[in-house]
Amino acid sequence: MSVANLYQQIVLDHHRAPRHYGALLQATHNAVGHNPLCGDHVRIELRIDEDVLRDISFSGESCAITTATASMMSERVIGLRREQIETLFVDFDASLRAGPGASASGDLGDLGELEALGELRRYPARLKCALLPWATLLAAWDKHPSITTETAESPTP
Amino acid sequence: MSAIIRSTAVAEFDVQRYRADFPALQRQVHGKPLVYFDNANTAQKPLGVIEAVDGYYRRHNANVSRAVHTLGSEATALYEATRDKLRAFINAPSRDEVIFTRGTTESINLVAYSWALPRLQPGDEILLTQMEHHANIVPWQLVCERTGAKIKVAPISASGELLLDQLDALLTPHVKLLALTHVSNVLGTVNPIARITAMARARGIPVLVDGSQAAPHLRIDVQALGCDFYAITGHKMFGPTGTGMLWAKRAILDSMPPFMGGGEMIKQVTFDKTIFNELPYKFEAGTPNIAGVIGLGAAIDYINALGIETIRAVENDLLGYATEQLNTIPGMRIFGTAPGKAAVISFLIEGVHAHDLATILDTDGVAVRSGHHCAHPLMQFFGVAATARASLAFYNTRDEIDIFITALLRARNMLL
Repeated sequence: MSVANLYQQIVLDHHRAPRHYGALLQATHNAVGHNPLCGDHVRIELRIDEDVLRDISFSGESCAITTATASMMSERVIGLRREQIETLFVDFDASLRAGPGASASGDLGDLGELEALGELRRYPARLKCALLPWATLLAAWDKHPSITTETAESPTP
Repeated sequence: MSAIIRSTAVAEFDVQRYRADFPALQRQVHGKPLVYFDNANTAQKPLGVIEAVDGYYRRHNANVSRAVHTLGSEATALYEATRDKLRAFINAPSRDEVIFTRGTTESINLVAYSWALPRLQPGDEILLTQMEHHANIVPWQLVCERTGAKIKVAPISASGELLLDQLDALLTPHVKLLALTHVSNVLGTVNPIARITAMARARGIPVLVDGSQAAPHLRIDVQALGCDFYAITGHKMFGPTGTGMLWAKRAILDSMPPFMGGGEMIKQVTFDKTIFNELPYKFEAGTPNIAGVIGLGAAIDYINALGIETIRAVENDLLGYATEQLNTIPGMRIFGTAPGKAAVISFLIEGVHAHDLATILDTDGVAVRSGHHCAHPLMQFFGVAATARASLAFYNTRDEIDIFITALLRARNMLL
């Protein structure tokens, strides 16, 4: 097993230069997700207009896996409705368990760069790191101010 | 740091001979030899411990104290022999003061519920320190919620040492208990317990010492330490998980009601009333972890045969070498630099998250802990969410430290 497959260039690129990082002007929703296992936290801000996610940003203190996930996720979810994001989350979760190349179930196309994180199936202790941004996004949408990985082990519609 | 110079005793220590006693140290992880640097989390077990557990189930399996047949007598004798070994290990005045528990957490909870809960009142205080781990924080919070008492926290310095003058000033008449760790699981700091108990005793304040991290590294003498309660856990001192001990002075134990009801803690039961057994059985409800306790006895035998002074000397040498090597890595920050600290090194490399580090190290066969080490308040003190931690045991080697350093550099290069 080569750990370089997990920390491949695309993941490291998002870790070093995260997209959509920082505060969001005119945010309508926000939430903070905590990973009690390690003390990490990620804050997600959303601008939702007519039930569509118009913009997103994230910030906080997190490992490369969480940061890269949040960055890739942010690029992927703009323009989607809540149920579409939830479907992506389910697909993403499935790809983490099945590995890269798992097909997307909906009509949203593939997971894009997020597929790079499918290597996490070899690192079960790190799964929560990648699920946290998604769970936090959905919590923000649902106006829950905070969420922890202990309640976000699997997609919870 | 003079880690390059080694004492003759340390230089002559035949580590390979002892490593052979630990089956887990022979295995590979991801095709590489295991480098186990997570000893403060739990230590590996020598064959003697594994065989003691195995032997109990193979030959003696019977309940303790209540069976009159041969197997029952054998099991009881083996089980009680560990109590004697523990008594000697901590130099307790009496074997009756040695209470078996499932570990430090249960030991501290026993004191919290059985001693503190009936005594504390609104306005009372429990004094803790900034370096406590959750097992020595949460039980007191639960007691405070139910009694109206409050927790106070003694501060530490940037190097991770207790500020004794401030601790002294905090020992006011409101304080009903001082509860602190002997050795920090994050910083490695060895607290001067005897000095601290003297300060507390002068004001009539009892002291509980959490000895989970001290037991594998230091000679423990509860009489010389002058404490009132001492808690240890078996699995960090090469014994089985789910074993541990609470020691307390007899007068204190006599004054405490039982913690849990049932089993051997009973002398006589009618539906109206129960007469509790004598110490130590009053606090040992139900069928205990007999095999585990017997294994713990074997762990004490192992430590005694090796000699705690030898362990301390070898670990000091490894600590010095590891610290020196770590400090050559750019961006290295070590948390806890108290003189005389135990062989625990918490660290971060600037720009690298501890979890990523631990994952990459694991693929090189190197096991370290990453996270908050169940010491959130301490992480907050240092302003970090998590650290990586390498905690060493006598069976580790300088060669392993070299592998660790190479792996760290690889991880750093990969992530930065």
